[in-house]
Amino acid sequence: MLAVDWPRVSGNISFAPAAIANSLPVEPVRMRNPFCLPESRAARHPPLRRAAAAVWLAALFIAPFALGAAARHVTDQTGRQVDVPDHPHHIVSLAPSITEIIYALGAGDELVGDTDFCDYPPEAKLKPHVGEVVNPSLERIVALKPDLVFGTAEANRRETADQLARLGIPLYGLTSHNLEQTFVSIQDVGEVLGHERQAQELLGSLRARVAAVEKRVAGQPRPKVLFVVWYRPLITAGPQTFISDVIHRGGGVSISGDLKGEWPRLSLEVALQRDPDVILIPQTAAFSPSLEDFEKLPGWKDLRAVKQHRLYLVPETILRPSPRLVDALEEVAAILHPASGSPPRTSR
Amino acid sequence: MTIAPTRRNVLLIVVVLTLSLAGVVLAALAVGGAHLSLGEVWSGLRGAAADPQAAIIIREIRLPRIILAILVGGALAVSGTGLQALLRNPLADPYVLGVSSGAALGAIVALWLGGRVAAASPLVAFLGAALTMIWVYLLGRRAGRLASYTLLLAGVITASFLSAVILFVLTLLSTRDVRGIAFWLMGDLSVVTNVQLRLLLPAIVLAILGMYLFAKDLNVLLLGEEEAAHLGVNVTRVETAVYLLASLLTGLAVSVSGAIGYLGLLVPHLGRMIVGNDHRALLPAAALGGAIVLVLSDMLARTVIAPAELPVGAVTAVAGAPVFIYLLRKTTG
Repeated sequence: MLAVDWPRVSGNISFAPAAIANSLPVEPVRMRNPFCLPESRAARHPPLRRAAAAVWLAALFIAPFALGAAARHVTDQTGRQVDVPDHPHHIVSLAPSITEIIYALGAGDELVGDTDFCDYPPEAKLKPHVGEVVNPSLERIVALKPDLVFGTAEANRRETADQLARLGIPLYGLTSHNLEQTFVSIQDVGEVLGHERQAQELLGSLRARVAAVEKRVAGQPRPKVLFVVWYRPLITAGPQTFISDVIHRGGGVSISGDLKGEWPRLSLEVALQRDPDVILIPQTAAFSPSLEDFEKLPGWKDLRAVKQHRLYLVPETILRPSPRLVDALEEVAAILHPASGSPPRTSR
Repeated sequence: MTIAPTRRNVLLIVVVLTLSLAGVVLAALAVGGAHLSLGEVWSGLRGAAADPQAAIIIREIRLPRIILAILVGGALAVSGTGLQALLRNPLADPYVLGVSSGAALGAIVALWLGGRVAAASPLVAFLGAALTMIWVYLLGRRAGRLASYTLLLAGVITASFLSAVILFVLTLLSTRDVRGIAFWLMGDLSVVTNVQLRLLLPAIVLAILGMYLFAKDLNVLLLGEEEAAHLGVNVTRVETAVYLLASLLTGLAVSVSGAIGYLGLLVPHLGRMIVGNDHRALLPAAALGGAIVLVLSDMLARTVIAPAELPVGAVTAVAGAPVFIYLLRKTTG
């Protein structure tokens, strides 16, 4: 098996750009460099190890200009060029979704810092924090001596990435506009961290759960859904968001599918005219409007969903492109199609 | 080319602007995010049960919003007119003395606290505006009387301090929450309840009429504080009253609609270009003009990218400056 992979892993630049990597069929083993192997497996192949050492030494001489000999030049999901160390052990995450991915891949021990908003899993709260998401403290990031930082195009600013690059700290940027891209993010983080196996296992189970949901809702009538990001003014999720993707896969149709942008303001008149069957409201830990606040919106009580008490608080995971987005998908599907699944949890 | 402020001309101005406002309101009623035919609009307005949904859209969403635009537009324009005269500064606007920042901070703190307090955010915003108004008044007093320059400095420094506090609070919030608040800071007319309208309508109308009582005094005050005193005006009384009325108008408007920019600065100047600097003509012209401008701006905000909406503050900001420059060139050239 390793022998088959060998030609592909020689050299220094085997990490394909995300777009290409994503289109490759999923394989259980996609090694870049034998040194990434866990010690026990490598030890079972001493000849291979010697050969690898030779390649390693050659690489040292061939690429003396590299940041460290073990750095790879890759293109991240946002199109930036990043020098990623071959096996990063000191990782900083700049978004709650990334922190969740890192833990889900079993790499939580390698996380040396995250943001004030990283609250899942609970251990993430104990990590040193580098501040909030939009404007993290560069000093604190540098003080943690990370060999790699993960950020997202949606939550973080490009300036943060540029400043870190100037300080010689690579930032690998992720982006997620739908469930599939979230899976690609999980795969990419797994590859960058050398946790490919965990990534494949995780993705296998996630994809199976998504398939189960899609199978269950297939052919059923699609209720019209209004997703409320904010209520004053009414802000909803546009079609280019993973939220809309979750609603679609969960067997619903978003009433804001024709709006532009990721977080458009929806006209109350239009919301009333399109009369959603179901209203979904994400429930965040703090600073969240209560259902009573919505009663004050003009025309709100005349909405069919309100009259039929089909307002649901959905867990915050629907706002995070992390493995738990699939939890949110299952929840949304159960809300939209309760007859064939478990009854929805939160309703008023 | 300005019109002499005789009683007859003032009446004429009021009639013409009121008719224009009526026309703009009809146009604003006819268009919106939801496509309704004129027949539907009319039956919705009358509450005829042909299409209950159209009736709800017209009576509960579109009409209250237009009424709010009239009230807020009039309040901001009159507040700006009063403050420009009081401070004898053409750059003065309703927000220069920090009232809007106080209201914004109140609203944000209310939303941050969440729960029942968040539900009452307009009330807390007004509380913030009122506290700021009193604070700036106390700072602006000197030897028992209000000095307009001290008032201006006190207001400007308070406004910038409160803005800094707002930015600080915003950094503590997650991006999703900031998104909602940012729209609020830009100004927004989309959410108004009937209770709010019932409270705003008499308060704003009374404050505007109250300001009109000081129209003559404002004319004299433009000559300077000393000159006004020599001419028999009780300067401290007038300045205090105008300050409180202007701040009250701003506080009332901002606590419901957020800080809609430019209107309170530009409409008084537009009014001066047309009716001149006599406040007996300028104040009613500004009140009606502000209403017209805001109803029109909100009509654009509701329709240009429908079914989505723009924040009305973005429309007034983008449209305000070019219109003003055009008029400035036209009247001086």
